[in-house]
Amino acid sequence: MGGVSDAVGANFVTTQLDKLVNWARRSSLWPATFGLACCAIEMMATTMPRHDLARFGMERFSASPRQADLMIVAGRVSQKMAPVLRQVYDQMTEPKWVISMGACASTGGVFNNYALIQGVDQIVPVDIYIPGCPPRPEMLIDGIMLLHEQIKSGNYEAKRVTA
Amino acid sequence: MRSGWTMAGNWRERARTLKDEGWWLVSYCGLDALGLRGGSRFEAVAQFRHATEGHRCIHVVAEGDPPTIPSIAAIWPTANWMEREAYDMFGIVFEGHPALTRILMPDEWEGWPLRKDYGVGKVTVEFVPQPFLQIDAPGQASETDGAGREVDRLGQSGAPERHWGTAPGAADTAHEGSR
Amino acid sequence: MTSAQAIDKLERDGHGAYVESYDPDAQRMTLNMGPVHPATHGVLRLLLELDGETVTKCEPIIGYLHTGMEKECEDQNWRQAVTIVTRMDYLAQFSNELVYSRAVDRLLDIDVPPRGRYIRVLMSELNRLSSHLVWYGTQGLDMGAMSALFYGFREREVIQDFNEMVTGLRMNNGYIIPGGVWEDLPDGWEPAVESILALMSRRIEEYEELLTFNPVFLERTRGVGVISKEVALALGASGPIARASGIDLDLRRDAPYEVYDKLTFDVPTLTEGDVYARYQVRMIEMRESLKILRQVVDGMPGGDYKNMDPKLTPPPRSELNRSMEAVIHHFKLMTQGYTVPEGEVYEAVESPRGELGCYTVSSGGTAPHRVHVRDPSFANLQLLPPAAIGGLVADLIAVIASLDPIMGGVDR
Repeated sequence: MGGVSDAVGANFVTTQLDKLVNWARRSSLWPATFGLACCAIEMMATTMPRHDLARFGMERFSASPRQADLMIVAGRVSQKMAPVLRQVYDQMTEPKWVISMGACASTGGVFNNYALIQGVDQIVPVDIYIPGCPPRPEMLIDGIMLLHEQIKSGNYEAKRVTA
Repeated sequence: MRSGWTMAGNWRERARTLKDEGWWLVSYCGLDALGLRGGSRFEAVAQFRHATEGHRCIHVVAEGDPPTIPSIAAIWPTANWMEREAYDMFGIVFEGHPALTRILMPDEWEGWPLRKDYGVGKVTVEFVPQPFLQIDAPGQASETDGAGREVDRLGQSGAPERHWGTAPGAADTAHEGSR
Repeated sequence: MTSAQAIDKLERDGHGAYVESYDPDAQRMTLNMGPVHPATHGVLRLLLELDGETVTKCEPIIGYLHTGMEKECEDQNWRQAVTIVTRMDYLAQFSNELVYSRAVDRLLDIDVPPRGRYIRVLMSELNRLSSHLVWYGTQGLDMGAMSALFYGFREREVIQDFNEMVTGLRMNNGYIIPGGVWEDLPDGWEPAVESILALMSRRIEEYEELLTFNPVFLERTRGVGVISKEVALALGASGPIARASGIDLDLRRDAPYEVYDKLTFDVPTLTEGDVYARYQVRMIEMRESLKILRQVVDGMPGGDYKNMDPKLTPPPRSELNRSMEAVIHHFKLMTQGYTVPEGEVYEAVESPRGELGCYTVSSGGTAPHRVHVRDPSFANLQLLPPAAIGGLVADLIAVIASLDPIMGGVDR
């Protein structure tokens, strides 16, 4: 099921402990700043007074990927940026999650041309896709809450093997 | 718009005169005239502004292969990046530029993206049939249930097994086939 | 693994590169900043050479957000290209749409009705306010004043709400189109703008109270990142950066477009050329924008908001049920788009960051042959090395923030 039962073996105590661990992980995600384009402005707006992302325990946007467990890819990813993005992702410590924010990060959006990666899922495994160009702050919050649900119930390690 | 043409050979001299007359460079970009008109193919287009005389535009016709134009980065330093951009996008070589390298594309990129014979680079979007939810294409005859009522295409009413896709095994093979 | 092997591995893995660039004789170190760095405003990458804390060399490396938009425009028809250009400088979306639409207007040689012109000015001035608010927030944040960011974004949301009310979108609106604007202003736009004006004139006081005479802010911005008039001229600076260095240039006044010739406003010009001067120019500009907005609200005429030529504008939905001609026009416009006569044109407007130009070439078809956007951030970013060299690394952050580059516009 999760971190503890994988290491020790599943029994009643460890699976209950997993729930506690997942709850703790969910309640305080530390996002890495990966603002690229227009979506980055909406991502900033999400953390600002009106939408107040701090309600979800994630007001601390980490500048260092080493201290982050959620990457919000906000904006279009160019061919030149792709290796950088992968490097930032590799630096993040497990367990880690990725939100692909906006149409450009998810599919390339309106730009189907030589310069853009057509979807960031070609480089890193993505957990949540958020549509919109750019998505409203409410949509980003909705995506984050979906991710919370996924973390609470999910099994991240099995997913990493297949990704 | 006041437009003028000049050959690459005379460009630097012309630029000096313009600078002495008080024109300053606003914009400088490449242009691929393929399919636009006969004659030369690659040009650099410079836009100038003047305190009293307004605005004018000068086309510089590139010569040779690769297309070459003398650099004016020493006359107007702002042309430095603009020439690098024109080189990056069109492969126009600016002779005498201090550091003519790619600026927007990665250094190892091949080809000149904004040339007309360089494709847009579209990636075909594949629509993979979803394993469960099958929506009929528009224009297809809608199915009716026994009582003659139209069945909701999303399968929310009526007989669900007719609309909820193919068997799981068949869906998997369809998924594989389209890849 | 033995210790010799471990050292070998370290050298192989690039640890050696760092040691190599450290030259103990010169006491200089090469430092890479970005492209993912919280203080570089997006994806700007800087290659710095440091002598202790002093910057001795600074090379901006751009292109990390290159989206191929100019190529993409050539692939769309004239009307669709608006949706591409609006995503270039994403904080000044209406200026982008305006300059492109004006270029196409001139190629088509059509008139925009007065109401359309006023709406264009209304939207782009509000846009200037919201763009400067983001600049204010980030400038404050980079100087350590976190509350400035909260202040800036708080009021920006109000303007975003107005954008949403008019266009349906918060950003990337695609609202200003060749021939006018896409939709008329909705009912209740006037009280909405009035309330923004009333709110903003109060709130700008608040911003000034927070930073203008703040000793810490003064200490960190006065005499920092000085750009002389000569350097600014040579490197093609425009907008607030040029005006802070003593270049009296504003396209709204010098080459008036739309209805700016009917409006009265001041162009602030300072001579210091440091970060503080750029701060002051932008603060005064925000007040001037409020003045312009007041005149626009008072002078808003009635009538059409876009050119109603059936070859250019799709007919209203009700017409499609009655007129065969309307159906044909609608079909042609929606499938193919309109053609634009052969020619070339350069149009420029004053965006919040300076001269935003659009050089457009038509080959007579339904798609542009070439759309080149002269983005002010692209030219202004070249001023970073002269402004940063000789200063401290900590001041470099303040200089970047005061140049206010938007990487979407720089890389396009």
